[in-house]
Amino acid sequence: MDVEALEQAALAAVAAARSTDAIEAVRVEYLGRKSALKLALREVRDRETGMTLNAARERVESAVAAREAELQRAELDRRLSEERVDVTLPLGGYPRGRLHLITQIRREVEDVFLGLGYRVVDGREVETTHYNFDGLNFPPGHPARSRLHSLFIDDDTLLRTETSPSQIRTMEAEQPPIYIVSLGRVYRRDTPDATHTPVFHQVEGLAVDEGITLADLTGTLDFLLKALFGQGRRTQFRTHYFPFTEPSIEAYVSCHVCDGAGCPVCRHSGWIEVGGAGMVDPKLFEFVGYDAERYSGFAFGWGLERIAMLRHEFPDLRELWRNDLRFSRQF
Amino acid sequence: MRVPLSWLREYVETDATAHEMARRLSISALEVDRVIDVGVPDEGDNLGRFVVGRVLSADPHPNADRLQLCQVDVGNPEPQQIVCGAWNFGVGATVAVGLPGALLPGFPGPLEERPLRGQMSRGMILAEDEIGLGADHAGIMLLPGGLEPGSPLAEALPLVDQVLDVTPTMNRPDLLSMVGIAREVAALLDGALRPPDPDDPPVRGGDSLDVRVEDLGGCPRYIGRVFRDVAVGPSPQWLRSRLHLAGMRSISNVVDVTNYVMHVWGSPLHAFDRALLAGGRIVVRRAREGETLRTLDGTLRELLPSDLLITDGERPVALAAIMGGLESEVSDETTEVLLEAANFEPIGVLRTSERLAVRTEGSNKWEKGVDPHAAEPAAALASRLLVDLTGAEVTASVDVHDGLPGRPVVELRPEHASRLIGLDVPEDEQRSILERLELEVDDAWQVTVPTFRARDVTREIDLVEEIARVVLDRVPHTMPLRRAVAGHLTPEQRLRRALEDVLVGMGFAEAYTWSLTPSDPNPDALRLPDPMSGDHAVLRTTLLHGLVEAARVNVDAGNERIRVFELARVYLPADGQLPEERWHLGGIAEGGFEAVRRAVETVYEAFHLPLVVTRTALDHLHPGKAAVTEAGWLGELHPSLLEGEWGAFELDVAELMAPLPERILYEDVITYPANRQDIAIAVSEDVEAAAIVGVAREAGGAELREARVFDVYRGDQVGEGRKSVALHLVFQAPDRTLTDEEVAASRSTIVAALAERLGAELRA
Repeated sequence: MDVEALEQAALAAVAAARSTDAIEAVRVEYLGRKSALKLALREVRDRETGMTLNAARERVESAVAAREAELQRAELDRRLSEERVDVTLPLGGYPRGRLHLITQIRREVEDVFLGLGYRVVDGREVETTHYNFDGLNFPPGHPARSRLHSLFIDDDTLLRTETSPSQIRTMEAEQPPIYIVSLGRVYRRDTPDATHTPVFHQVEGLAVDEGITLADLTGTLDFLLKALFGQGRRTQFRTHYFPFTEPSIEAYVSCHVCDGAGCPVCRHSGWIEVGGAGMVDPKLFEFVGYDAERYSGFAFGWGLERIAMLRHEFPDLRELWRNDLRFSRQF
Repeated sequence: MRVPLSWLREYVETDATAHEMARRLSISALEVDRVIDVGVPDEGDNLGRFVVGRVLSADPHPNADRLQLCQVDVGNPEPQQIVCGAWNFGVGATVAVGLPGALLPGFPGPLEERPLRGQMSRGMILAEDEIGLGADHAGIMLLPGGLEPGSPLAEALPLVDQVLDVTPTMNRPDLLSMVGIAREVAALLDGALRPPDPDDPPVRGGDSLDVRVEDLGGCPRYIGRVFRDVAVGPSPQWLRSRLHLAGMRSISNVVDVTNYVMHVWGSPLHAFDRALLAGGRIVVRRAREGETLRTLDGTLRELLPSDLLITDGERPVALAAIMGGLESEVSDETTEVLLEAANFEPIGVLRTSERLAVRTEGSNKWEKGVDPHAAEPAAALASRLLVDLTGAEVTASVDVHDGLPGRPVVELRPEHASRLIGLDVPEDEQRSILERLELEVDDAWQVTVPTFRARDVTREIDLVEEIARVVLDRVPHTMPLRRAVAGHLTPEQRLRRALEDVLVGMGFAEAYTWSLTPSDPNPDALRLPDPMSGDHAVLRTTLLHGLVEAARVNVDAGNERIRVFELARVYLPADGQLPEERWHLGGIAEGGFEAVRRAVETVYEAFHLPLVVTRTALDHLHPGKAAVTEAGWLGELHPSLLEGEWGAFELDVAELMAPLPERILYEDVITYPANRQDIAIAVSEDVEAAAIVGVAREAGGAELREARVFDVYRGDQVGEGRKSVALHLVFQAPDRTLTDEEVAASRSTIVAALAERLGAELRA
């Protein structure tokens, strides 16, 4: 038997194989149980012939394996290249809902204050006039006490007109230091229109500790305003009046649309009013039994809808309550 | 309130521009809504084109019946020919003239020399509305005779002006006046304050005026003055213009004077026709039951004993502080005037004006609290003007009060102010700020507050505010120390966030719906006694109504894949004063029962909560597709509520989360493999999945780790009234691999129990 010729024939067949099936046929023919090589090996009796045959078998085997790998790779490449899809074709995402825009802002504000070390307090929505007015130092003739402006259930019970009652409830229950925010629904007797809804949302903040200053208040609000409207904004604080704070201020942020140059969003003033704040009036500390000489504090109460409307420039607040998916899916 | 700058500058001397004033005022005193430019355009030499003119001749236009042809001396050698449509003047009248080229507010281009009906007209004789000084276009403006023809009109009239539109906060009624604003400008911009200080005309003649105030609480002060020989007529142009710029209408000289002085001093006044006061005297008292008064606006007011009245001793003549009576109104025939410069207490005014839903310039000031001391300079200025403008004489004057409020004295610790503000404001500066605001500071820092601030500044903190507001734009931005605090959400707050996220992950969009609904299924739900409208009448005890509305809005909008949820409060009637407020999670979704059954399963599964669902009947749900869990309900919405197949659910969040384990313990389901078995049984149609699983669990013992229905099949092979239920069983032990024999035995036990208890036949 001419081993060399056999090997040459096998290697030629390997080289000629054009598919994995063909190479498998080559394997069977030259390396299979009934192949000339295997039969010869089975019958070999002398060491020299055995070594020669074995060496030939190994070379053929490795040639088959190499060719097979090559062909498998080529066949895989061909198949994959045929499986091309239009990757730009949208298939529709997994269905996913949206948080309400106000919830998104609520979480944003909560997270800012959680990061600053504040807790979040859930206030009540139906309140007594004590917590909603008296404890907050509303004078007897204050318009909010009127049924024309607020929604009463009876003479002593109403839907809270601001989130501030949570200040009193917290201070009654705890001793300083107090750092809280409270977010939720508040109610006013406003007929729904583009800029009013009878129900809306506020964030209330309260910090009471030793040594709290007006500068701490403006610093905190500056931080919040930049978090909400962008780090490049400037802030301004103007004097104001609220029954439960003294001094009282109103916070303004430089217009995020025109950056102060003047545009319809800021009514050409360059500034946007965001909400009220102030140093807790010592009267409130008296009501809850805190030592006003030892502690001072600040508080603020802002509308979340106002922040949403300013930031996203939608024209009608009522959209927030219509729940049209064409609105909510945008945010 | 509108503050014309030309008027303000009469009371405060400052170089500050309108915008500088607006900036300082808005940071430190009151809201400045805007600065309004009024009058003629101040560009180029436009102002030079407005001059005083004297009418030399005024003849009918030869070609037009309704026009006059005038020769007007405008200071040139030759008179100016002007065609004019007004007839309220004649030869010798001093008038305002716009020369050719003049730009007028609201006119597209400059005045042109052009022929009018064949006669050249070189300019225009001006009416007040044409240069923004009034609303009147019935005739041209008539100027005082002393003015030199050709002199600049700007010297006679405020041709160019700016108006600050301001809104004081409710603690600062003193800023509802020109003098009050002037004080702030003087203090903030270092101006010199010059409040009006006219000679109060002497009382001549011996009229007596009887004023009795029965309710000094409601009317702490009443200055009454009598004027005789009053000639009622139009006001001079300067007064008309000022009122116009301040946003008020000119009515007659007498009424205009009261409005003007109210604007100056912030203390409203009223003028009665004295001849029409039947009793000839003034009694201030509360109304009697059943009394009525027809007020100036023509409305007949029904009065209550809480309403304060001005009466003439016989009948009401004014609703005190709110509106005068129609019968005693000053008219063209009036020759005797009774001027009221009084003071009224705020809360009573507010109550009456709210009840009657009538608010006036006057009531708006009174309800915020006006300084009783302001009545005096107001009476003096009004008297001076009435005498000067109507030729009247003061014949009687009385001032009724029971002592006027004094000036509070408050101690300030300057270091306390600096500490609270967080800015070191030197003592000298603090003293200077207070003194500029007309608060007197002595060496021991005892601060005496002027009466016009007496309501607002009564405590040390109020003085701190005065300092703080003036230095407000210098206050640095710092952060509180926040020692011993840590920010965190409570577990309940974290769970609510997680619930929202689970729903969003399932494709539900969050909705916000009204807490107040038209109606509620709970008959005890809290009802507003006086709702804004029928749509917002009841405090809801369920989210269902709002969710159905949200779904309907989306159906009407043609939206697809409608799935909406809300996590909000409901208000359950409770024994105490306040209702119980509970968080509910509700949802509505297209796809009927299946849609919400899947949603509720996912919610429970997300928090590892055991879900036990029981068939029930609820009015708002499909009778065959309604269920309850321990925390709420789910089912297919009754088609009468909303067309189509909708699933809805509502869960009480606290109930839902009640079984939530504090921590979850590891179970080894990895070391020893599970043995999974599927069986199919045929049962009667009325056997529910929960019953099958229940029997299987009971029979399967501890090693049956999971039992779940995964398919239900109905068909001929199963037979009428029966269904085939495929059950997936998972057997597993924590400590060993179960043998096939053990599993087969458990499986047989389960099959036998199902056969015995539920009549099930094993199909595979």
